[in-house]
Amino acid sequence: MKIVVVDYGMGNVKSVISAIRYLGFEDVILSNDSSILASADKLILPGVGNYAMAVKKIHELDLHSIIRELVLCKKIPILGICLGMQLIGRSSTEDGFHEGLALIDAKVEAFNSKGIKIPHVGYNQVEPVLNSRLYSGINTELDYYFTHSFRMQSEADICASRCVYGENFIASFEKNHIAGVQFHPELSQHNGLKLIRNFIEKF
Amino acid sequence: MLRNRLIFGLIYNEGCFMQSRNFRLQRVGDINWLEKNYKFQKISFSMDELLVVDATRKEKNIDKFSETISRLVEDVFIPVTAGGGIRSIDDAEKLFNSGADKVLLNTPLYENEMLAKQIIARYGAQSLIASVDYKIIEHEPIVYIKDGTVSVPVAMEDYLKRLERLGVGEILFNSIEKDGTGFGYDIPNITKYANSVNVPFIILGGAGNGAHLNDGLNVEGVSGVATANLFNFIGNGLPKAREFMLNEGANLARWDNADF
Repeated sequence: MKIVVVDYGMGNVKSVISAIRYLGFEDVILSNDSSILASADKLILPGVGNYAMAVKKIHELDLHSIIRELVLCKKIPILGICLGMQLIGRSSTEDGFHEGLALIDAKVEAFNSKGIKIPHVGYNQVEPVLNSRLYSGINTELDYYFTHSFRMQSEADICASRCVYGENFIASFEKNHIAGVQFHPELSQHNGLKLIRNFIEKF
Repeated sequence: MLRNRLIFGLIYNEGCFMQSRNFRLQRVGDINWLEKNYKFQKISFSMDELLVVDATRKEKNIDKFSETISRLVEDVFIPVTAGGGIRSIDDAEKLFNSGADKVLLNTPLYENEMLAKQIIARYGAQSLIASVDYKIIEHEPIVYIKDGTVSVPVAMEDYLKRLERLGVGEILFNSIEKDGTGFGYDIPNITKYANSVNVPFIILGGAGNGAHLNDGLNVEGVSGVATANLFNFIGNGLPKAREFMLNEGANLARWDNADF
């Protein structure tokens, strides 16, 4: 099982990698080399920070078409985390309008509720839909760590869990071999470690 | 519902961890001591976040501090904030690359706002915590920078609003006078300022037990309670305090930590 964490220079990837190793998957590598990405059994797209800057870096590193080909044609499973999840969607309105990887039909916009503190920071409960693979075997109230000001919306039937913060938004999605989580499983104690293991084993 | 957070702080000074009292430091032990005596990874399962502050009074060595952060975050699966002595975007980058999820700024928020703006532009607003140290002078909370040695001539409310406009992700409100006392938080001032800004508000300084932590969380507008009291919370202290807080109805995250 070879797991490749996509390196495009945004955010803390150290904890993602140490979480995967902690779970006993030793063959994990951080890379932006197209041949290494092509050899992956699973891809993880991490990311923290600004959407526009992330899109720019993905294009600069020629990763846009490679990731699309690996995921859409070769059907390599991918898990997007936080900004990585948002990048899997079509677009975001953070700092203008920017197009993402468009692996699924979803758009990213700012929270529009009044009277909530922004960013949404901290552990919040998520409510999984029936038969979600990501949450399989996790038997608690499902607290996960969030830190974001934008969230995903979609007309498509992809939602795997919802979270409430001023409004109801998509906390995670699953569509065949493509998954994304708005929260940080690598910063969510055992709830998160189990979710990462579920992605590796069930996708 | 969004949970409140229990944040544990470690005060670092020239390679060692310290107990701070009113910003005076007492050496407790180094990272090996922490791992050997207190199985740090195990107690990390009782905290929601970890904060590590370099309080070295002499020349701070950010490379050595980064190495310590790097070792500390191994197998710790919660957000880690590091700060103290960040004076350039390169310093911040070193800490992020060592595994910090957020950085803490204090003095540059007043002296060099551009640094805060650079960090926000590169890493996002959520990656920056603004540390606000204060002392009560003639009944008014006065903001201090430079490890509590230099006062800032801006009223507290204006200072907090200025940080909010600057775009910081969170505010850490720290009472120098309560620091390390274990007598409880400065509830009157926390009550007065927690809702004055629309960013998450974390309090530090004074907590000595689980009841103090809950007193802090019970103040409207407080998002997180922090303690850096090594003496009171290391070992079984923190797991017991968390259990107490949950039993008293605190709105903290719950994890399935058994069975792994």
